[in-house]
Amino acid sequence: MSAASKKLIAGTILAIAVGGLVGWLYSATLLGLLVAALLIIAIYMRKLLLFERALRHGDVESIGYGDGVWQQLYSQFKQERERSNRYRKQARRLVKEVQKSTYAMPDGAVVIDGDNEIVTCNRAAKNLIGLKRKKDRGQKLDNIFRHPQITELLQQNDASQSVDVESPLRDNEWLNCRIVPYGANQKLVLIRDVTDRITLNKVRRDFVANASHELRSPLTVISGYLETLTDDPEVPDELAKPLAQMQVQARRMTSIVKDLLELSRLEGDGQASMDDRVDVAFLVATAVQAFSSVADDGPEILSTIKSDALLLGAESDIDSILHNLLANAVRHTDADGEIEITWRTDENGGELIVRDTGEGIAAEHLVRLTERFFRVDRGRSRGDGGFGLGLAIVKHAIERHGGELHIESEPGEGSEFRCIFPASRLVAA
Amino acid sequence: MQASDFTDHISRRFNQDIEELRNGVLAMGGLVESQLSKAIAAIVTGDSELGLQVANDDYKVNDLEVSIDEGCSRVLATRSPAAGDLRLIVAIIKTITDLERIGDEAEKIGFLASRLAGMDRPPDSYRELKTLGNHVLHMVRDSMNTFARLDVDDAFAVVREDERVDEEYESIQRQCITFMMEDPRSIKRVMNVTWAARSLERIGDHAKNICEYVIYMVQGRDVRHTGISTANELDENETQ
Repeated sequence: MSAASKKLIAGTILAIAVGGLVGWLYSATLLGLLVAALLIIAIYMRKLLLFERALRHGDVESIGYGDGVWQQLYSQFKQERERSNRYRKQARRLVKEVQKSTYAMPDGAVVIDGDNEIVTCNRAAKNLIGLKRKKDRGQKLDNIFRHPQITELLQQNDASQSVDVESPLRDNEWLNCRIVPYGANQKLVLIRDVTDRITLNKVRRDFVANASHELRSPLTVISGYLETLTDDPEVPDELAKPLAQMQVQARRMTSIVKDLLELSRLEGDGQASMDDRVDVAFLVATAVQAFSSVADDGPEILSTIKSDALLLGAESDIDSILHNLLANAVRHTDADGEIEITWRTDENGGELIVRDTGEGIAAEHLVRLTERFFRVDRGRSRGDGGFGLGLAIVKHAIERHGGELHIESEPGEGSEFRCIFPASRLVAA
Repeated sequence: MQASDFTDHISRRFNQDIEELRNGVLAMGGLVESQLSKAIAAIVTGDSELGLQVANDDYKVNDLEVSIDEGCSRVLATRSPAAGDLRLIVAIIKTITDLERIGDEAEKIGFLASRLAGMDRPPDSYRELKTLGNHVLHMVRDSMNTFARLDVDDAFAVVREDERVDEEYESIQRQCITFMMEDPRSIKRVMNVTWAARSLERIGDHAKNICEYVIYMVQGRDVRHTGISTANELDENETQ
């Protein structure tokens, strides 16, 4: 117990005792005690009311420092208040700093609530998609930033998804949008200018397409002359071997160029010829026949057709998928191995599976397998025809059909390539 | 009038109905915008596949029109809206018709693009068409923005913008006539170009119509067929 508290209690008891003594002198002890107690209550009440009024006006100084406990109460309250003021100022400054930094961020950021209504946005968002901070508060984001893909993205509400859309304000500019859910039903929409990336990609694609196209005509001429020369009986014998070599290499190059052209066609955005009704079962049968007749001493190729459903898509793409997967399987499977190709459908979609009992692929290579020009074994002889474009073509062709490619493999056990097509692309025969 | 005025009813269900209709119109607008943007890209870059894709996707716009139309009829029948709500419903019914027409014109442009892709390309790669197209695309975007924000000032700006589109169209027309006179062999190709320009010009008119509906919706005034000078006058009175 502090000195001030002791003093307060002692003072109160003393005052009441004095009151009682005075009352006793006048032979009215009870009255004396009562008067003293009432007086004390009145004094304390006045101080309490003063304190309350000072608090209400926020002016603790004006009542000055009383004595004892009251003084301590005042000064403690004042300290407490100053400290909280200081904290509040700090917090406010911090919030302002954070606000300023998000505001100045080069990427657009829009905060939206559970109904996709705009809560706030930064300056970049205003510049990138033309939001108006005050006016658009409470509007749905996809009412202002209207694009079918944005609406779809908002519905999915998945932070791992992002879409590239054209800028609504400027021509030939592209924006990448991503939605990050956070907190209680809040979402952050991040918008980034990706014009450079898109343009670069397009330039690369155009370059590959053009270069491959330009390479094709000289190659045709070279192959043509090589063929005439090998057939020519007057060519000396010692040239026969080099000529044959040259012919093999020219053929190889022609097929690389063909694959590159195929790849750039698949990468294009056009989808005009995607509505053919493709008879997958028939294509499988033809492909199996073609490969069995080429590789007589190769592995056995079996086909299991469990569905006669047709696939909506481009026949050339499906054929290309089959051809590339089978070629890979034949290349990597020994003569005593087995290749099985399956086509089956259910309500979840269709699956085209090519499974082999070949050498398999190590796990660390699986991720990069569909990159163009990626080959598991760089030292491997290139004479056998693989040059790392096949799976890239397969992947792009499947993606064009809205599907996915899953690869499972165990070194030494064999590999399984599963092409999964969405149910929306299947029609009953 | 504010966008939130429409969702200020005691019946929550009514709020939702009206909000859904508004969102539907804007989603349809977004689809039409992307269709138009693709159609223009197809014609400028000579991408026949993209052009055909636009032509094939027009059914999505039509489907949206039908479903929003149904929604409007339902609200009219069950809620008997009055005043601002009634004007909103009327404006929506008209707006979706114009949006659907814009979709049709985009379909036409896409089809023309696929046809033009197979022909010789002029050295300027249809620069005029691109300028006109982008101009019109921005008009459509702005008209949907005014619909979303109920911004009368911007609506008047789009209405005025239509005159400039008409001028650009005239100039393309004159240029095309010159081409055809110079080289009769190009007539077939240039005819297609004039059709595309014509479609773009029509889209500008539809965007203008939408803005007029927005003005009607917000102020209850009909500014159609009043000429640009009257529109200006009204705008000035409004801002005073």
